[in-house]
Formats: sequence, C-alpha cells, structure tokens
Amino acid sequence: MAIVKTIGLTKKYGPNLAVDHLNLEVQEGEILGILGPNGAGKSSILLMLSTIIKPTEGTAEVGGYDIRKNPYEVRELIGIAFQEPKLFWVNTPWEILNWHAKVCGVKNPRQSAEKMLKELALWDARKKRANELSGGMKKRVEVAKVMIQRPKVAIVDEPTAQIDVSGKFQIWEMIRTLRDEGSTILLATNELGEADRLSDRVAIIYRGKLLVLDTPRNLKDSIPGGDVIDVRAETPVDEKTVAEMKGIAGVVDLAVLKPTHMRIYLNRAEKMLPKIMNRLNELGVGITSINMKEPSLDDVFLHYTGAVLDESQATNGGTR
Amino acid sequence: MTKILLVIERDLRSLMHQYSILIMRWFFVVVQIGIFGLAISRIVTAMQDYYYYYAMGVIVMTMYSVAIFTGYEIYDEADDGFTEYLLALPITRRELVLGRSLAGGLRSFIFMAPVIAGFMILIGIVDPLRVAAALVALYGFAFGVSGLSITLAVGLRSGDSFDIVMGALDAFIVRLSSALYPQAFMPASISVLSRFNPLTYASDLFRWSLNFDPQFLANPVTAMVVLIIFLVLFNLTGVAIYERSLEGGAWK
Repeated sequence: MAIVKTIGLTKKYGPNLAVDHLNLEVQEGEILGILGPNGAGKSSILLMLSTIIKPTEGTAEVGGYDIRKNPYEVRELIGIAFQEPKLFWVNTPWEILNWHAKVCGVKNPRQSAEKMLKELALWDARKKRANELSGGMKKRVEVAKVMIQRPKVAIVDEPTAQIDVSGKFQIWEMIRTLRDEGSTILLATNELGEADRLSDRVAIIYRGKLLVLDTPRNLKDSIPGGDVIDVRAETPVDEKTVAEMKGIAGVVDLAVLKPTHMRIYLNRAEKMLPKIMNRLNELGVGITSINMKEPSLDDVFLHYTGAVLDESQATNGGTR
Repeated sequence: MTKILLVIERDLRSLMHQYSILIMRWFFVVVQIGIFGLAISRIVTAMQDYYYYYAMGVIVMTMYSVAIFTGYEIYDEADDGFTEYLLALPITRRELVLGRSLAGGLRSFIFMAPVIAGFMILIGIVDPLRVAAALVALYGFAFGVSGLSITLAVGLRSGDSFDIVMGALDAFIVRLSSALYPQAFMPASISVLSRFNPLTYASDLFRWSLNFDPQFLANPVTAMVVLIIFLVLFNLTGVAIYERSLEGGAWK
C-alpha cells in the first residue's frame, strides 16, 4: 500500500523548474532511496512532502492526507532529518532532543533523549551549545531527532554526510531498525553506495524528473550486458570457442582482451555462471581464474542519465 | 495549548543562554534612568515629577525594543535555515506564531523584571491591583509588539527591507509618542500623530497604573482598548501571513 503518493508534483523557483510533474508512490514499510546529483530536485521534493514549501502545481498525499489541504495532519505523520543540521546556535544537544521529543509527542522524552544521546556518542557533549559542536556532531544531533521521533514516514536527507566511517555504519543500522519497527523511510542521497546498501527501491531523479524507480537489483539488471565475467584460460582461446560462447543465450557481448583473457558481458551473471562453466568444460578450455562483477549504481546512473554522478553535480546547478 | 507552551519554553530557554545580553540590557536601563534621567529632570521644570514620568517611559521603551527583537531573531533563524525545522514540526502555524509572540512578551518581562520591581519599590507602589494593572499594560504592549515584529519579519522576508522598516519604526514610534514627553507639551501636529501610536497608550496606561498625575496621560479606558486592538490585529496578521505565505528557504 502506498503511504506517500505524489500527483504531478511540481515546484518552480522563479523561472527554474526544480521538480517537474513528479508521479511517485512510496510503499509502506520500505526504504526508498532517492538518488540524484545536487540540484536534481531531491530536497525540494522532501520539503514539499514535509509541508515546508508549497507545490507550484500538483500535490501529494502522505498517509492519505493531502499536503495542501491537511498540512498539520501530514506533519503529525512525518519527521525529517535535514541535509544541513537545523540547530539554533545557543541550544544544547540535550535541550534540542528533549524539546523535539516533547513537541512530537514522544513518551518519556527525557529518557528517550538520554538514550539517543548515549547511542550516538553525544552524551559527553550534551551541554555544549550547538555552535560549539563539530560538523559531524551536529549531523548526528540532526539524525537523532528523527530517530527519537520514530515517525510513520521518516525523511533522511544525506544522513551520513560529514560523518566518519564507524558513525556511518551506526546510522545505517539505525535507519534499518527504524524501518523494521514500522517506519517508511525516504532516503535522499548522492552516495550511491549508501543507496545501494540501504534501499529496498531506488528512484533516480534528474533535473526534477523521475527517470526510473525499481529495486537496486532490477536497476542493475536493466543495463543490457551490465554484468561482467572475466575468464582467464590456460591456453589462448580459439575463434570457435569465442563464437560458441557468444552463442549462449543471455550473453550480450564478448571481448577478447588478451589471447587467454575473455570478457563476457551479460545479465544475471550469478545465474549464467554455471552454464558458461559447463560450456567451457565441454569445449575443453582449461580455466585459471574467473571473476564476476555486477554493475554498481554508478553504472545505473550513467546508463539512465548519460552522465556520471560527479559530472552531473558539477553541471547541474541552480535549484535545491 | 500544550504546543504553544512548548514554543514559549524553547524561546525562554534560548534567552537564558544569552545572559550576557540580559545583564547588558539591565545595565543600560539603570544607567539611563539613574544618570540621564536624573540630569534631564533637573532641566525640565514645566512638569513636576518629570523624573518618574521619564523613568516609566524608559521602561516601556525598553520593553518595546526587547519585544521587537523577536522579529530580528526570526530573521536570523530563517537565515540559518532553522525556520524550516520549525515549519516541519507537528505544530500549527497559529500555535507557532502565538507561542513566539507570547514568548516575546514574556522575554521583555524577564529582561525588565528586576528594573520594574526595583522601580516600584522605589516609588512605593505596593497595591497589588495597581501592580497587576501595570504589569498587564506592559505585557499586553510587549505581546502586541512581538506580533508586529513577527508580521514584519515574515511579511518582508528581505534583510534590507526589514532593517530599513525597523529602523524607521524605531525612530518614529519613540519620538511620536508620549513615552518621553506628555502630549500636552507636544506641537499640535505631533500630538495628533502620537494618538495613533501604541507606545503612547502603553506608556500612559503604565503611568496611570502607578498612580501618576492623570492630567498628563491619555484616558486609561481608551489606552486599554487601543492596546487590545493593537495586539489582536498584529498577532492575527502574523498568523495569517504565516499560514498563507510562509515557506522555508528563499529569504533574501
């Protein structure tokens, strides 16, 4: 069942079209990765869903409530951890979380705040003013707000930016736990590994439009010949072997990189591998090594946008 | 109602972290009343008890300048992106505006409480009814000024425009009022303009509550009605602007 549904959702900032008639459904209980370069429109979508900014056209429903007609009811269901931490400079992490918990109707706000501060290694810094915290600490306080709130729909916008490696693993685990406890997660990120690791489905947003939406596995499989199997033979492979291998159903292409090294392009490499091994055995080809590589979300992004993420971040400007 | 109280709690907690500003403000008021007030009251001979008139006016003026600070703070918060956080919370826009406006009034009170208390003791006002009336007059005014500053901050949404309007307002609202001199001594044209100024009514109502000679003051009933209209008008306008047009981002 869709808990979030956008219907022709559009946002313009002056002449700039940030979100272009977006139609998207987020299923209850999933982690939906929203992937796109800076300026793709990800944050504008999330801010509209949170009722912070208003759509120029179209609308969206969150838990059956229209963001235009019932913004308060929407805000009761939604929680957001912003890309840039929103902490008023004089307040301490303790005050921020305790107050946030109270406003969001969390039971036992003081205990919840204490638990969260300890879990995120912020307890010792609980009495420091926000302007005295490091970037990583501020980000952890921001993420802690949504974790303590446990909303029906949690929006996390680049949750691990500025966070060290061990902190990233901890936050990823907390996001999964949040989902397992019943929240639906919208995870906006331009870190492809993060989206791949966490998301049940991934939506690629580019220049305000939804390009594609599917599971990471299906997205990778959607690239023709996206998987690669490198075969290294004991002796040089002959033309007959190459032709035979190319003839296997499911093999998209084959390149001979060296006389003893074939690169086979295909889909679903893990399922095709036994078939390829059998055929090579039948042809009497001795094998020294086999490597299998599936495409990354970088490859998926390249396939659908024609640009690698770094390049598109450099050229995509203007709006949120 | 609970949400309004939580908004007030947050604003007051933030204030308590800025104790250096509190101390600076108290120091300024005490010096202004204790030194400048004493000196100027020796020059002014046309009015008996001008010192007290002046001191009461300075108290109300300071309440004004503290309450108007709410707008600056809202502007700073928008600049930091903090407004977006507040707008995402499960609080209605109405609760947010009223909470901040009520907190703005309370902050003015906390700023001025030691000065007001000290002044009342100094002039020997102990009648609880008079004290209560004086405090209600001051709070009503500060609440209204907070609403005004929120309306302007959210309505203008431009740093330059906000600074210009606030600067002009600050210059005129004090001088075109009876805060520092009674209407009876003003040139006719200024006296007319001062009748449209809430600071006139707040100052005079405060003085009336503290038993100052009523011949120099506006009618207390009129003053009360004007202050109520003032606080209702600007708080409702603030609510309307918040609900209809406020969005995160895009403040200049």
